[in-house]
Amino acid sequence: MAGVWIISENRERVLELLNIGRQLAAKMGTRVSALLYQDSKEVQDCINHGADEVMLLPPLSRDQSPEIYIPVIIEEAKKGDPDLILLPATARGKDMAARIAAQLDVGLCSNCIALNFDDGSKSLVMERLAYGGVAVQTVICATRPAMATIPPRTYDTAMPETGRQGHVRELPAPAPSAVKTLERKVKERAAKDISEARTVVCVGRGIDKKDDLALARQLADILDGEIACTRPIAEEFHWLPEEVCIGLSGVQVKPDLYLGLGVSGQVQHLTGIRNAKVIAAVNKDENAPIFKAADFGIVGDLYDIVPKLVNELKK
Amino acid sequence: MRCRFVPTVIACFKWVVDEAYIRLRPSGDLDFSSVDYKIGEYDRNAIEAAVRSKEALGGKAIAVTVSMPEATKGVKDALSRGTDEAYFVADSSFGNLESSQTAFILAEVVRTRIQQYDLIICGEGSSDLYAQQVGPRLAEKLGIPCISFVQKFSITKGQLVAERRVEEGVEVITAPLPALVTVLPDINVPRIPGVKDTLMAGRKPTVKITKDELPPMGQPLLRTVSITASRMERSCEMFGTDAQEIARFVGSLRKRGVVG
Repeated sequence: MAGVWIISENRERVLELLNIGRQLAAKMGTRVSALLYQDSKEVQDCINHGADEVMLLPPLSRDQSPEIYIPVIIEEAKKGDPDLILLPATARGKDMAARIAAQLDVGLCSNCIALNFDDGSKSLVMERLAYGGVAVQTVICATRPAMATIPPRTYDTAMPETGRQGHVRELPAPAPSAVKTLERKVKERAAKDISEARTVVCVGRGIDKKDDLALARQLADILDGEIACTRPIAEEFHWLPEEVCIGLSGVQVKPDLYLGLGVSGQVQHLTGIRNAKVIAAVNKDENAPIFKAADFGIVGDLYDIVPKLVNELKK
Repeated sequence: MRCRFVPTVIACFKWVVDEAYIRLRPSGDLDFSSVDYKIGEYDRNAIEAAVRSKEALGGKAIAVTVSMPEATKGVKDALSRGTDEAYFVADSSFGNLESSQTAFILAEVVRTRIQQYDLIICGEGSSDLYAQQVGPRLAEKLGIPCISFVQKFSITKGQLVAERRVEEGVEVITAPLPALVTVLPDINVPRIPGVKDTLMAGRKPTVKITKDELPPMGQPLLRTVSITASRMERSCEMFGTDAQEIARFVGSLRKRGVVG
């Protein structure tokens, strides 16, 4: 049967994976199958966006999370023998991918930022960041199926086509599990989604106290941007919520403009901003690593510079 | 009379290259010649969580690592951070293990040497390769529940309750023990060991295990073709702080079309 399999519970992620999945399937001379959870309304949508087959998983009960499907997916993969399985590099996607890979005893490229099918060796060559973003690690899965998790928004969503036909198949219900979901607290966003923002003003340790965030906010307002922060600001000081913390273990952004205020530029943080179109930075330490990763830099005290920037931008 | 629950909690850690010491050669190659090593950033949270569990409930906190023999320093560091004993699987060939191999060895050590345990804690990923697979793979090998990306947890006799952070929000999950959790970096602030802690660490037991004492592990399932410097091509243009320079800075942003 073979094919490229796509597994996600989120429509956006499915469409992004369909985009790269379809390109790869064309090169590999195979087809694309998507495993969808619960919502059968999305079946035709998924086929229109490039799936040749949809495998439908039965609805979850209140105390179940999608991880309960892992054994069903493993069984299906053993029978179906896919060439490649793709999941999004979200918390759930990474967890499920690693556990599926362990049970199938295959390799998995996590947080994969590029996939290319090498026609000569008939293998998938994949890239990922290592050492906090200092290095690019190029890997090949030595076993079948190849597996990868891909960070959200690495690829654009697939374009729909009309008149596409696809096969739909229902998968069996999962066995009961002793692991239960007691409660779901849906995130009330304290801030706007910075991963979609065109302009991001990011504060780092150079800011002295929580009240001074107002200064950064003023600048963000003028630039019509969102405010973000480095890890210490969210995790140690709790001045801003976790969801606006940029970095390897936080959010990865790709705005037109990233402006760092008092951000030193540790590699883990730089990894989160590497896809920004323009990187600008203000920091009083001329040796701050951020300047090596920035297009435009000002060595100066943010308390002096930000009001000047505000004035200039008002002109 | 009810028996008091005194859990055995295992923290797994990796002794990793401190990426701050990786230099870039003029040729653009990475230079690892003057690197130092450290306990992975995220694994410090795992160790801290295990030690806090012991401080709250009693029982035992065990540190486990699979590494090169040079990681003795890391084992001592883990012990000075408050763990009671360590299992150190060492071999000179363990410098570049792949996630599936590390998980295989850890599973062997847990199953055949430690045997009795209630909870395994791993960091959300190693701070060198950050594949984020060893925790989930280890849980699968042991056939125990895996709850990943946990921001808070509690254990009572036979039962784990964990708050897990996913994109949509937080899930509160319950699972029977033994179980494995991977913890997020904001679950705690790891302590910095003092002189006394370091002195005490030297007297704590370490079980050393060699490669020959374990069944043979498989080949890497993910083959690394190359590790090269990641390039961020930026113009690095610098500006002064006077009004004229600020105007030039803003002008540059406007020219690039990123400021209205």
